Amino acid sequence: MNEHGARILIVDDEPQIRKLLKVSLQAHQYAITEAASGEEGLLQASTAPPDLIVLDLGLPDLSGMEVLARLREWSGVPIIVLTAKDREEDKIAALDGGADDYVTKPFGMGELVARIRVALRHVAKSPNEPILQFDELTIDLAQRIVELRGERVKLTPTEYDLLKLLASHAGKVVTQRQLLQQVWGAQTTESDSHYLRVYIGHLRKKLEEDSTQPKFIVTEPGIGYRFLSRD
Amino acid sequence: MSKWMPSAHRAQWRSYIGITLLIVLMTAIVRPLDFAFDLVNVALIYLLPVLLSASLWGFRPAFYAAVLSVLALDFFYIPPKLSFTVADLRYLISFVVYLAVAALTASLASRLKQQLLYSRQKEAHTAALYEVSRQISATTDIRALIDSVSLQVSQAIGSEAAFYLPDERNKLKVMLPSFASSDWGRNEEEQAIAKLVYEHGEAAGFGTELLRDHSGHFSPLQADGSMHGVLAVRLKDRSSGFTLEQQRLLEALGGLAASTIARMKLMEEARIAHLTAESERLRTAILDSVSHELRTPLAAIIGSATSLIEGHELFSSDDRMELLKTIRDGSLRMNRLVQNLLGMVQLESGMLKLRQNWCDVEDLIGVALAQVKDFQQNRRIRVRPMIGIPLIRGDEVLLEQMLVNIVSNAIKYSPDFSEIAIVARVAEDRLVLSVSDQGSGLANDEYDLIFEKFYRARSARNVTGTGLGLAICKGIVELHGGAISASPNVPNGTMITIKLPLARDEEAIGKTISPVIEKAGVEHE
Repeated sequence: MNEHGARILIVDDEPQIRKLLKVSLQAHQYAITEAASGEEGLLQASTAPPDLIVLDLGLPDLSGMEVLARLREWSGVPIIVLTAKDREEDKIAALDGGADDYVTKPFGMGELVARIRVALRHVAKSPNEPILQFDELTIDLAQRIVELRGERVKLTPTEYDLLKLLASHAGKVVTQRQLLQQVWGAQTTESDSHYLRVYIGHLRKKLEEDSTQPKFIVTEPGIGYRFLSRD
Repeated sequence: MSKWMPSAHRAQWRSYIGITLLIVLMTAIVRPLDFAFDLVNVALIYLLPVLLSASLWGFRPAFYAAVLSVLALDFFYIPPKLSFTVADLRYLISFVVYLAVAALTASLASRLKQQLLYSRQKEAHTAALYEVSRQISATTDIRALIDSVSLQVSQAIGSEAAFYLPDERNKLKVMLPSFASSDWGRNEEEQAIAKLVYEHGEAAGFGTELLRDHSGHFSPLQADGSMHGVLAVRLKDRSSGFTLEQQRLLEALGGLAASTIARMKLMEEARIAHLTAESERLRTAILDSVSHELRTPLAAIIGSATSLIEGHELFSSDDRMELLKTIRDGSLRMNRLVQNLLGMVQLESGMLKLRQNWCDVEDLIGVALAQVKDFQQNRRIRVRPMIGIPLIRGDEVLLEQMLVNIVSNAIKYSPDFSEIAIVARVAEDRLVLSVSDQGSGLANDEYDLIFEKFYRARSARNVTGTGLGLAICKGIVELHGGAISASPNVPNGTMITIKLPLARDEEAIGKTISPVIEKAGVEHE
């Protein structure tokens, strides 16, 4: 599927935000449909399934979380949620509840478009690509080999698993819980987050030139981590 | 008084017995030596018990001693001896003179003694009053005042006390000391009398013109010409009443209590006035700051947007870009302000929930630096390499916000192309994080002030800002149990130092984490 011309459903009760999104996203060659409430959004998503949904979490009728949960009962469509700045819990809940990514209001349009692109690309990408390539970094999934600028980087098994998980979701945020549960196992909880801190630190020491200005693994404070992929 | 009367009587009887015994003894000693003394000398010797009793016991025992001495002289020494008959009638004149001298001496001596006694009493009284007044004037709490005055009343007069003080609506409320053993003072009758006294400003109850048969004495508490309440004292024994001393003490205590209550009222009024002024000042500061900080970017946004709409075709594409950037910058500025205001409100209202996560300081700094990248221009931000800095417990979102605020400040108040240094180290059980810039620095008195809400450094008047950033930082750091301070940077600029507590089991986690995890990791292979 070509990411241009993709159909995007915007679910937001604020007419000004809908108008802004419509004008801006149409300029990026997306086809836009709008819904002003959760119920309307659910209806539109089922009658004319879009390629991606931009969902505001602060809706007047249903909570955004509820819309998300009901959508996820039957659809795997990429969903990007819009949230207010200081609602970290909401963001985490939405991401763990099946949202693909989030954008914090107020947001720059460039940021939103980048998130939309990443989300659409992940749908389009074939899942069994054996080699992930990011600028100077190459991850060979088949042979479990990581190379940086042509040189092999020695990683411990945990470090490798962590990097693999982040890189295979390149561009998308992965929550702390998702990382902990998928790398360390289902029994780990947020209180084990120091494992994550320590291993991310190790990975950065091996991959980044300057740990305080990471190019590959950036922190989303309070949420998780995002592997940066440049377009 | 009834208490000490019997013992005083006993003492007096003792004195008479003592005098009699003394004179008998003297006679027994002097009599055999009669031949050695002239009669005049004997008479003088017999003056001794008179003087002694005058100085020891007062006038009456002294006069008794004089009479006894005359009788002894007459009987034993005046011829014919061993008889009260006086042969030479001139001796009678001598006796009268003797008695007169004795009486005069005795009265002088006893008066002296009384004066001494009186001044001693007065001294004790004054000392007691001084002690009470010292205690009372140190109290700032009405309950403590009531307790301390009531204690004095029960110690000095041996009776219960009750206070009647007006509330906000000028209605009298009875207040008993915390150690009160009975409910005396709570009866309707007593309350009614208290009200009467409060309204008329005249004492009532026992020993006064009004209701003299009542068992209580009610005196108004007056100071500076206004009424502050009523002090009631219950008499234990109505027949004995008050002594003059007790009455004086009561008056003094009442006066003290009244002036202390007056002082407390004034203090409370001053405090309220101060608070009102302070909140007024703060409100003005908020209004000034917020209206200025909101209006300035709004003016830029509205101006740019309207000129773009109205003069669409007049602008070159560069101009248009300029105006659009102005709109963006103005909006970002407003966004920062709104965020700071919301942050402040959350901090102050206690709404802020602190998440306790493990945070990597290096990571926090990295995130903060990414946030300020857009406006650091050509300033160089140097982070000293961090080795062996443990994880800290805290809310990473808040800590990051705090760091962004501090680094933004360092950028804002230092010249382009200068250097900002960030250093983290561990000192004892604390993580010490410092951010130093090479800006213009602060005046000496401003290093504490800059953490106050809405305070703007005097040298920073031309830089936009609300004066909220550092106040929020302080709130966040303190929420984490840490401390934040500012000091001059060498050679110039400002250094902000943040101290955060380290978790105590930190070391243990740092050491044990790797092997455990690696074992788990091997299974994936």
